Amino acid sequence: MKNRIASFSFDLIIFLLGFLSLLSPFFFQQARNPGINSSTFPVIVSIILLLCITLVVFEAQSSHLDTKMIALLGVLVAINSGLRFLENAIPGPAGFSPIFFLIIIVGYFFGSKMGFLIGALTLFVSSLITGGVGPWLPGQMITAGWVGQSSALLAPINTLIRIKDKPIEIIILAIFGALWGLLYGVIMNLWFWPFLAASPQLMWTQTAHLIENIQRYFAYYLATSVIWDITRAIGNFLVITVMGAPVIKIFNRFKKRFSFEHTQRTHS
Amino acid sequence: MRNSISWVLWLITTMAILLATRHPIYLVILLSELLLVGNKIAKYQGISSWAVNNLRFLMTMVLLSTVINAFFTHVGSTIVFRLPENWVLIGGNITLESIIYGLINGLVIGSMYITFNITNLALNTKQITGLIPRAFHPIAMTVTVALTFFPSIQQRAREIKEAQMIRGNPMKHISDWLPLFVPLLVTSLENAFQLSESMTARGFHTKYQPHRQEYALMGLIIATFVIFSAWLLRLYNYPKTTSIILYAIGAFLLIAILYKTSQRTQITRYHQETWGRKDILPSVLLGLIIIGWVMLRIVEQGPDLAYTPYPTFSLPSIQFAGILLSLVPLLPILFIDHD
Repeated sequence: MKNRIASFSFDLIIFLLGFLSLLSPFFFQQARNPGINSSTFPVIVSIILLLCITLVVFEAQSSHLDTKMIALLGVLVAINSGLRFLENAIPGPAGFSPIFFLIIIVGYFFGSKMGFLIGALTLFVSSLITGGVGPWLPGQMITAGWVGQSSALLAPINTLIRIKDKPIEIIILAIFGALWGLLYGVIMNLWFWPFLAASPQLMWTQTAHLIENIQRYFAYYLATSVIWDITRAIGNFLVITVMGAPVIKIFNRFKKRFSFEHTQRTHS
Repeated sequence: MRNSISWVLWLITTMAILLATRHPIYLVILLSELLLVGNKIAKYQGISSWAVNNLRFLMTMVLLSTVINAFFTHVGSTIVFRLPENWVLIGGNITLESIIYGLINGLVIGSMYITFNITNLALNTKQITGLIPRAFHPIAMTVTVALTFFPSIQQRAREIKEAQMIRGNPMKHISDWLPLFVPLLVTSLENAFQLSESMTARGFHTKYQPHRQEYALMGLIIATFVIFSAWLLRLYNYPKTTSIILYAIGAFLLIAILYKTSQRTQITRYHQETWGRKDILPSVLLGLIIIGWVMLRIVEQGPDLAYTPYPTFSLPSIQFAGILLSLVPLLPILFIDHD
């Protein structure tokens, strides 16, 4: 229990650090100073996000990654990267991405660390395969990591309200996937916002208060990516509704097989 | 120039220059060089349409950025045309300055994309994964497992898809993909199970020292917060030296911890990267340029690469030092080796 609380607190602090960096223009007046900040903001935020990923990954590899988890995670990442490769090879509706369903199900089933790792590593591995390594990668990795990490929160809630193994469980996961479909775009746009939007109507204003800046960001979001994100949200909902239950059933079957332990025997 | 470190140094230098400038002439010079470098590597690798594909992407970015900026920014004094004021967001003056600013933004974004694309082209997957510090050995192993399994999973997916289509599955709706995904997942998890058994049998990951990892983690947390504080202090106009000292402490702590943790991880590299003359020379040059650049930024000297078309458009001024700096990304063209 003590370990769980420590682990949860660690995740929460790192999440707040990363999220606060992205949201800094809303809270810190000086962060909205375009003179000193518009070109360096994406770089500094990317570096801080990369450090946050480093921390979570380092903690997860120290506490969670044994041979079983490395093999399991490696294979799941390979499958999910294949789905992203498919998305690039056969473009579906704009914004639709099939990768989120497996991230959400893995986070929900195997816990927050595995959820974060599959999210972050899927984006990393698939960008290696598709040649998509770029300054946007830390933002993509941490946001996809948060998708998996946060889905772990649903497991105790669903147990508490006794809906596990019932159809409503999948519906809740699907709604959660749809919400993340929108949120992913909202978060991903944040680090690039000051760089792309030079318009006074769309960019933050140093003297404006929080609500006004949120309105400006919302206008920027509407202008640039809301259609993509709605398609992603609908896609996530449909894929989880169709694939969620069978995949959870398969994970249930394999969980028992993956619980073998090795003990070292000393010869006297 | 084949070594991954040389390319990382080139990437850092080019990105630093790109992010510092909004000057259209320097940007056009940079972009032409990037296309030259990328095209040369692509030619050696037998990729024919690299430049065309990248130019297409660049044009799309320039167009998108120009349109967004022109229609949503109503700042500037040279009015090209007007849209009714009551049109939400886009109503108002469409100005020459906002069109030019959007165009410059598009050039910067396109150049950034091409810079990373060249790095992806120059380095193979093995070299990129080799850049993961040894301290992250389990994660690097997971990435390697994923990259190794990827082709076989793709092949299996194709086979299952063909088998399904022979059985009359049209593969059009999401539910049609379920008979493909379920067997793919089951067989892949079987593979994972076998792999984990064989890794355990071979004693992988048994020399593990959790207490040492805890100290390293604490150090990494401190380093992250030091860097974050340096940024916040700079935002609030605290003396620049305070931030620089904190950045340096954070970076030193980070490198020291990762180095120390890496030392404790023993791995075997079967293909060591070599350092030829054509790697050392550009690396030294690029390293010196980066150090010089950082020093100049600290003392607030060096060429002024900034330009803004607002509030009234004027032609950008050109400095010799600016032209010289924008020629730096061309460096690899002198050192690229043909296999």
